[in-house]
Amino acid sequence: MDQEDVLTILKILIIGESNVGKSSILLRFTEDEFCENMQSTVGMDYKTKQITIDGNTVKLAIWDTAGQERFRTLTPSYYRDGQGAILMYDVTDRNTFVKLETWLNELNTYCNRTDIVKMVVGNKIDLPNREVSTEEGLQFARRHQTLYIESSAKTADGVKCCFEELVQKIIQTPGLWDTHSTRLYDNGTMTASRYRSGKRGMQLAANYQSLPVESSSNCYCSLL
Amino acid sequence: MEDVLNDVVSSEDLKKFESVYHEQLRASHVTQKAQFEYAWCLVRSKYSADIRKGILLLEDLYNNYDTEKRDCLYYLAIGNARIKEYSKALSYVRSFLQIEPANVQVQQLETLIKKKMEKEGLVGMAVAGGVIIGIASILGLGIAMAKKN
Repeated sequence: MDQEDVLTILKILIIGESNVGKSSILLRFTEDEFCENMQSTVGMDYKTKQITIDGNTVKLAIWDTAGQERFRTLTPSYYRDGQGAILMYDVTDRNTFVKLETWLNELNTYCNRTDIVKMVVGNKIDLPNREVSTEEGLQFARRHQTLYIESSAKTADGVKCCFEELVQKIIQTPGLWDTHSTRLYDNGTMTASRYRSGKRGMQLAANYQSLPVESSSNCYCSLL
Repeated sequence: MEDVLNDVVSSEDLKKFESVYHEQLRASHVTQKAQFEYAWCLVRSKYSADIRKGILLLEDLYNNYDTEKRDCLYYLAIGNARIKEYSKALSYVRSFLQIEPANVQVQQLETLIKKKMEKEGLVGMAVAGGVIIGIASILGLGIAMAKKN
């Protein structure tokens, strides 16, 4: 793995009620696998994955949080310095959609970055018994100014797209990542290369801003 | 940060949950929740003394309560792996997998621990190998010099 080629490291959080598919989406994204009987996450899980978008390779540090109530007091410290957040619900369980409001509040309370990019994800669209319509999901996303996508970890629908859109939006928000990533993820060995890539990143980000948002997306994700 | 074993607790978190725990300790009524939260911070501390303390608290929870045993097992594995007690860590992983054999999170922790073990085992062997070569060369030099004389 050539660290020199990594533009930046981005911290992504996945939050939402228990059993909506947070770990499943992550497993599909990082390993392209699906587990029918995924057990509930203990505390927090952590995965990294590199993706290349428009020729830029970024490393994602993804925090998969436990949705269960008893971990709720433990999670806030993980929100700190997050650059992207995936707020997930289960389209076949209305309660998980209603609770999204609480998760959003939690995120807004504990995340110190006001410009963190948020994406609402309606998961399990492969199942027949849908309770929350696309329109409702979109409305929620529009009201809270977040990105929106529907997905299925089982069929892999929308999974890659979800992360790609999120990363793209983060990269388009230069102040969000170029100045911070060096300090936060450096553990003493990477300093020189990170500072260099940070500078390179600013230039690239400036180019990005001139691009129309839609030009880079070909899936059904709405940027609001 | 490369993996779950490198996740270090923030000092604010450690202080926060420590004070809750100590308050309850003074009132001689420690709840399961407070003890777990404090232990959860301790096993992710950068100091091994903290980690050992966290392990003791988790063992106590595991032995005295019937609920959330899986949480205790998972963080016992994390704590032990972080102080390089790999075989102990693996035994906790195995107890966990006996309850939930298909748990992906714990399976991956097992792989991670085994990898660390192997890596450090190899480093250990390399050091031992270096020492042997060192001794051998000194001996060789000694013999050569003895022969000269």
